[in-house]
Amino acid sequence: MNAPEVWKFAPAYELPSWPHVRAPDLDARERIRYPVVIAGGGLSGLTLACDLLLRGVPVVVLDEDDTVGVRGASSRGICYAQKSLEIFARLGVYERVRAKGITWSVGRTFSGADEVYTFDLEDDSRSEQPPFINLQQFYLEWFLVDRIRALDERAIRWKTKVVRVEHDSFGAVVHVETPAGAYALEADWLVDATGANSRIRDALGLEAHASRHTDRWCISDVRFKKPLPVERWTWIDAPFNEGRGVWQHLMADAVWRLDYQMDEHADPESISKPEVAGARLRAQLGPDVEFEFVWIGPYQYRDHLLDTFRVGRTIFIGDAAHVVCPFGARGGNNGIQDAANLGWKLALVVRGQAGDGLVDSYHAERHAAAVENLRVTSRTARFLAPRSAAEHRLRRAVVALARTHPFARKLANTGRMAQANDYPPSRWAPAGARSLQNVALGATTVMQLLAGGTRFLGLWIGASDADIASLADVARRLPIAAHAVAVDSALGAHLAAAGTLVLVRPDAYVAATIATPTPDRVEAALRRALALDADAR
Amino acid sequence: MKTAPNIADPDAFYEAWIAAHEGLSDAESAELDARLVLLLANQVGELQVLLDCIAAARRAAD
Repeated sequence: MNAPEVWKFAPAYELPSWPHVRAPDLDARERIRYPVVIAGGGLSGLTLACDLLLRGVPVVVLDEDDTVGVRGASSRGICYAQKSLEIFARLGVYERVRAKGITWSVGRTFSGADEVYTFDLEDDSRSEQPPFINLQQFYLEWFLVDRIRALDERAIRWKTKVVRVEHDSFGAVVHVETPAGAYALEADWLVDATGANSRIRDALGLEAHASRHTDRWCISDVRFKKPLPVERWTWIDAPFNEGRGVWQHLMADAVWRLDYQMDEHADPESISKPEVAGARLRAQLGPDVEFEFVWIGPYQYRDHLLDTFRVGRTIFIGDAAHVVCPFGARGGNNGIQDAANLGWKLALVVRGQAGDGLVDSYHAERHAAAVENLRVTSRTARFLAPRSAAEHRLRRAVVALARTHPFARKLANTGRMAQANDYPPSRWAPAGARSLQNVALGATTVMQLLAGGTRFLGLWIGASDADIASLADVARRLPIAAHAVAVDSALGAHLAAAGTLVLVRPDAYVAATIATPTPDRVEAALRRALALDADAR
Repeated sequence: MKTAPNIADPDAFYEAWIAAHEGLSDAESAELDARLVLLLANQVGELQVLLDCIAAARRAAD
């Protein structure tokens, strides 16, 4: 009889911690008022803080903890999508993300031992950034914290717990507790980035429409020596997991995330015991592969969606506003994109360069994106966990035909990877708004141009010097920088016809394309995009 | 959704359809029809027509 296998565990990740510093508010005679206070130093809160600081808007981030990630847990988010990577390029953290993370673009889906379909996201990419980089979330937060501290060492207030908020039409009063004592600070704008269990949201009595899924999964983060392709592999029904789903993905530090779909009635404690998780791994990896656990954790999905992402001067971003099933990496990436959508709007409104209505466009655009993400991820969840014999039968039909018929591969749904959502037509963007990839423009890129300040870009395809000069007057009054773009450049050749002016917002969304640009037309489109027409300046 | 006759030779289609089910268990027949629906759906292509067909088929069950 063989001796029972001994399961090895890697030491825990070593995370940095930062010191609590006594807040100036404790020694001030009157409450200090700040233009923007961000509650919560997770992915979305840190992204917004970094974005605002680079735009010259002072921020205060209130974080309960003194580190990144969640103690005792592993990484939550692992896949960062192109739009997020482009945002990180603008914020100055992309190079660290790229150096530490795992770049990938190919995904394969299997049924049993057969490959059902494959995608390569590189096919549609013209960006300077790859379609995806995998990285443990706490590294990303760490890089953002370092960047924020380089911009303003005091911006993040560690060990600072929000205990109560008073909201009014001019802002909010935030009561906090810290190791040095309790105090209150005033905010013109309060951003709630405190995550799925936001107490700020709940204290306002806002309905989050939460629902819990019955599908049950168990993550094993592991290191092993078996060389596997750096691709996203998913099994609809893996033979080594009793015919249920499995996800296989590489993160930094040579850690693989293996995520196993469990019986929905399984006991979470027993499925996450090392011997049970170890047996699953042994079945997947084969008898001779040495491995060590980094983390084991069972979980279930939940989702929620707030009806409104703005209540007066309080704005909800990230998981505080919306949570979806994790398929397709639509959680963290959308928190990052919430922050990038909001940052420039708040900056311009705080400076009086845009109307207050522009903040409503944050809700209009990001709520629409969240609705779409909820629909997309719910469809994936339903494909992966059929609810009846009939649903199982329909899925078997898809899988059976997919082996030989290309059309059926499009129906197999193991996650539709996060892309920058299109925004619907609105009074700020009558034709809707679409993300512009970070294409090269001569020696520079869209993101490098946008990093230069909070202003729109007027990218005029094939413009002459005189054309650009004709917009100088508009650029004196409104935040826009006009650039001529060569007709045969990546942008000119693929995205707009010669003579067109593409009006790009500071978040790299196209607000308008103007076929026959004149200074008046450019100014009108810009005023609309800045919510200046409906508001008194 | 077309409701006027469009199948070129209805009797030949019906004959081939039942012939395909011969010798199958109820479960196997149901699997076959599911695959058939997918193949036909791809011939139709247009989403609104497919949705109309699904709704019409469901009405017959309710």
